[in-house]
Order: sequence, then C-alpha cells, then structure tokens
Amino acid sequence: MYSGINISQTDARPMYLQIMEQIRARVAAGDWPPGKELPSIRALAAALNVSVITIKRAYLDLENEGVIVTRHGKGSFVADANGLAGELKEAQLQEHLEQAAGIGRQLGLTSEELAKRLRRALESK
Amino acid sequence: MTDKHIEMHGVRKSYRFFTLDDLSLDLAPGEVMGFVGPNGAGKSTTLRLAMGLVAPDAGEIRVLGQPMPAASAIAKREVGYVSADMHLLPNATLGWHMDFVKSIYPGWDAGYAAALVKRFNLRPGQNARSLSLGERIKAVLLLTLARRPRLLVLDEPTTGLDPVARHEVITEFMDVLHDDSRSILFSSHNTVDVERISDRITFIDRGRLVESSNKEDFLDRWRRIQLQLPEGAALPALPDLVSRNQDGRFVTLVTDQFSDGFAALLAPHVREVQRMSLEEIFVANVMRHREVRGS
Amino acid sequence: MNTVIRKLIAKELHVNRLLVGIGVVAGIGSTVVAAFGPVGFNIGALTWLSTIIGMGVILSLYGIMNERKEHALEFVMSLPLSVAGYVRAKMIGLVLCFFITWSVSVAAALVLVFAKDSVPDGIAPYLLLLSVFMLANFGVVLGGTMLARNEGTTTAIVIITNMGVTLFMFIVAPMRGIREFMWATAPVWNSTFWAVLGCELAVLVISLTLPLLIVARRRDFL
Repeated sequence: MYSGINISQTDARPMYLQIMEQIRARVAAGDWPPGKELPSIRALAAALNVSVITIKRAYLDLENEGVIVTRHGKGSFVADANGLAGELKEAQLQEHLEQAAGIGRQLGLTSEELAKRLRRALESK
Repeated sequence: MTDKHIEMHGVRKSYRFFTLDDLSLDLAPGEVMGFVGPNGAGKSTTLRLAMGLVAPDAGEIRVLGQPMPAASAIAKREVGYVSADMHLLPNATLGWHMDFVKSIYPGWDAGYAAALVKRFNLRPGQNARSLSLGERIKAVLLLTLARRPRLLVLDEPTTGLDPVARHEVITEFMDVLHDDSRSILFSSHNTVDVERISDRITFIDRGRLVESSNKEDFLDRWRRIQLQLPEGAALPALPDLVSRNQDGRFVTLVTDQFSDGFAALLAPHVREVQRMSLEEIFVANVMRHREVRGS
Repeated sequence: MNTVIRKLIAKELHVNRLLVGIGVVAGIGSTVVAAFGPVGFNIGALTWLSTIIGMGVILSLYGIMNERKEHALEFVMSLPLSVAGYVRAKMIGLVLCFFITWSVSVAAALVLVFAKDSVPDGIAPYLLLLSVFMLANFGVVLGGTMLARNEGTTTAIVIITNMGVTLFMFIVAPMRGIREFMWATAPVWNSTFWAVLGCELAVLVISLTLPLLIVARRRDFL
C-alpha cells in the first residue's frame, strides 16, 4: 500500500518533507481518495525504516495544511474538504502559469502572443 | 511511579584513565534513542552501566523500574543486550544456542527465529568458532530479537555488516516499534542509520553528556550558512556560533541555534543556508568542544 | 535453584563432555594397568594421579579463562542472572565435571585395593586422603582461577597447587597414625585419618565458597 513511498538519502530535504510531498502527490492524484485511512504512524515508520517522530511530524504538518485529518484514537484519514484535491491542483496550475509567463517574457513574447499559444495548447488537448 | 524504560541520574564511573561524569539519561517506552560520540567517549561504559555489568561510583540507575545493578537479574529477563565484541560460547552451534536461549526465556518466538535465520543468511549447524564477524553479530542479534525483549540495548550493532545485512538488521529493529511498549537504545558510528531511525539523539564526548534531544528539533537547530560580504564589510555581532570560517569575502558559519530571526540578521549577505547531516553535526560539535578545552 | 543457573550447569556438563569422558576412561584404564605387577602398578598409579590432577587443571583453565578470553562472558552476563549466580553456576558446573572423573577413578582404585591381594588393604585410608586432597586441590585451583584477574596469577596457582601433591605425599605419608598402618592387611580408620580428612574438606568448602563472596562484591565484573 505504501511501498512506493521512498526516502532518499541523497535528497537534501529533510525526511519529513519528503514524506509529506509523496503523500500530498497521492492525494492530489486521487490514488488516496478522501476518507481513505492512512497507515498508522508506527506501521509507516516500520515500513519505511524511519523514526516514529519523523512520521508524527509529517502527519502533524499535513493536518495543519488540511490534507489529512486525525481522529484521536481512530487514526488519520485523507481530508474530505471539498475540492481539497482541487486546491492542490489550483496551486499547481498557478505555479505552471507563472512559470510560463516568466519563460514567455524571456523569449520576448507579448501577452497576446502568450495567450494565443495557451489557447492553441488547450485546443490540441 | 514512572514507566520509563531507562533512567540514569548523575551517574559517575571512574576508571584509571577515564571518567564518566554526571550522566543523566532517560528512555521512554516506544522510543528509539541513538547514542553517538567519538571512540572512548564512554558509550560502551554507559550501556554496560545500564545492563548492570558494572556498578556506578555515584548516581542512580533504573531499568524497567528495577535498580541497577542490584536487581539486574530481574531486569535482564526483559532486556536484550548486544555488543559488537560479544561472542557465542565456544564449541557449540548456533542451533544449540537457540535451544539454550529458548529454554531460558518464555518469550521465545520459534517461528520468528526460523525466519531470522533465513533472513540473516545463517545456518543453525554452524559452530560458534567458524562464524565471521558479520555472521557472529547477526547470530547474537538473532538470539536477542527472537525472544522479543521489551527493551533493546545495543552497542554498535551494525559493525562489520555489509549494506544488505545492515538493511535487514535495521528493518528488524524498526519492526520492534510496531509495539509502542518496546524501546531501543543503540550506539552507533553509522550516523546515517542513527539519523534515520532515532526519535531522540544523545551525544556524549569525553565522559560527559553534550546533548540529548528530540531528533527533528535537533536537526532543525543546526545550519551551515554561506555568506558573501560586500567589500570592506564586517559581520554583525552574532551569538551562538559553533564555528566560523572566513576566506576573503566568503564566510561560512555553523550555528546550533538557527531560527528565522537568525536568518533575518544576515539576510542580505546570505548565499546559501544548508541543513547539516548528523555526521557533519557530530564533527562540528566535537571540534567545538576540543577547541574550548584547548586540546 | 533458578532456571538460568540450572541451564548453565547443564551447559557446563555438555561443553566438557568429551574431556570428562576421556578422564573416566583414563581413570579406569590406569587402574587396570596398575593390576599388572609392580611395574604396572607404578605406571598405573602415576597415570591415575596425572589424570586426576590434569583434569582439574584443564577444567579450571579451560572452563573459566576460555570464556573470558573468547569474550563469551558478555553473552552469558546478558542472561538474566546476577554475578553471584554466574559464579555459583560456574563453580557447581565445573565441580560436577571434575567429580564425575574423580569419583569413578577413586572407586576404581578402591576396587583394585580391595580386590587384589598383592595390594595391602591398609593403604585404603591413605588412598582416600590422597584422593580427597586432590579434590580439595581442585577446589583451590578453581576458586583461585575464579578470583584471578589475569593469566599470570592463574598459572602461578596451578604451579603451586601441583607442587602440593608432592608435598602431601611427603608430609602425610610419614605421619604418625598413617605410616604404621599403610601396609597392613586391613584398613585402619583412626583419629589421624579423620583429622586430616576434616582439614581437607574444610579447605574444599572454603575454596569453593570464598569466590562467591568476593566476586559477587566486585563492581567491575566485566
């Protein structure tokens, strides 16, 4: 179930951030749908060979972000917030658009030329 | 009273050329504590004190609620101890040892033992004398893990193990943590493993406790900061620096009290802020202490 | 007695089974050889003495020092037993190993004395005193090795106690109460006999219990 989650030794980012990102990705992709129960902290720690405290921190921060919800004594679940996956996707879209704008400017494109390119991309999909 | 697995207060142990002084340490159930320090710092002595193999000159030690070394025979029923220079009894096979340990501990899990034999690539018919370093350590670990002790006290348990064996062994340690009533105290030079699986890290140097904290907080406090100062500028006064290195206009700082405020102080000149690995922190910490002591 | 101690004693017997077996065979064998005339008697008696003394030395050195040298002591001390428990298990285990060879050899020798007419029965008390002396000797070697912190001390103990056997023969044989009756046709159990026996047993008991008291008090067992 969570064998795909990996901690990289060579990644400079702290372990808890890596875990959070991979969980967020699964939630955003829909692989972990709202309401799905997350592995228990200890089970995930044992599966990843990572300290319990790291998993705890990841889960805590994910809860603060609203990605998951923890019910005391019952476990953690993917948050059911309406369109939460949508929120993540929103953030992704915004990021990509800003990147595109930046590259467009570097290429010397005007706003109209950039908008035309975007429309063409939408039509081709 | 308390349900801590290990409690040490003000423990002191003197040897001719070395003294362990004012050591206080505690370990709660469900925790993994990584114990690091340079060679000769007192790690093995501390673990032996915890096992009641030596008696302290001063201070109190309790393991699983039992005073040590007075009640060590009772405490040891539920503690598993492995040290890297432990050898099995000569002239007996691994299989004999398994039967021997099984007959002493009611908690022996024969199924798990058999699985470990396979996983660790051992053979019950092997004579204790013919075991290589790695096999010997795996054998002792097997005998300890298979009886599922409540507390594991491990002195450099991954010495001499190849990466695959190390991975297998660490996996078994982490498996222990499924049960939040069990705990592990282990010393290791393998800072990568310590950093990865410890909930708390305790640092010891020259017989004294340097640090004992929650791993995530600990790693969060340490940073290496690369600065580039403008021509002729000097650094603002900075508290809490572990080390500072200047090469012309390029300055490298190491701090163990990093915070947003700290970063703000240096903001315009910062080229890069880097987190540090436990290994780097270890070296920086020890070097700092050596400088302070003037050695 | 607790399980761990019992298991350790059993382990001691198991680990030394070959040695004890050889000792038993040598003890009986040397008695048989001793039945064949005066030459056979000398050879047999010498072998018999060497077997018992040798067994004692090997058991003490091998049984105690080996475990220390081979770092197996840490493994044993990781088991649920106290230092005192360890000492007790070790001593009882090794004494049992020695006792098997010793008792079989002494019984065989006594059989020879009483069955063979050419060997006067009057030598039985002396034989017993010599035998118990060697048992007490083993106690001293064992206790000393247990207390010794290094190989040098142990070697010294072994050398000194070996000389003891010779001393015994020189001191006890000419004693009044022993000398006169050694070659009699019937054994004489007089007060001299009991006095010497008493001393030997006292030495045995002390040598086995003293280490228990001293080692258990040590603060750096390992």
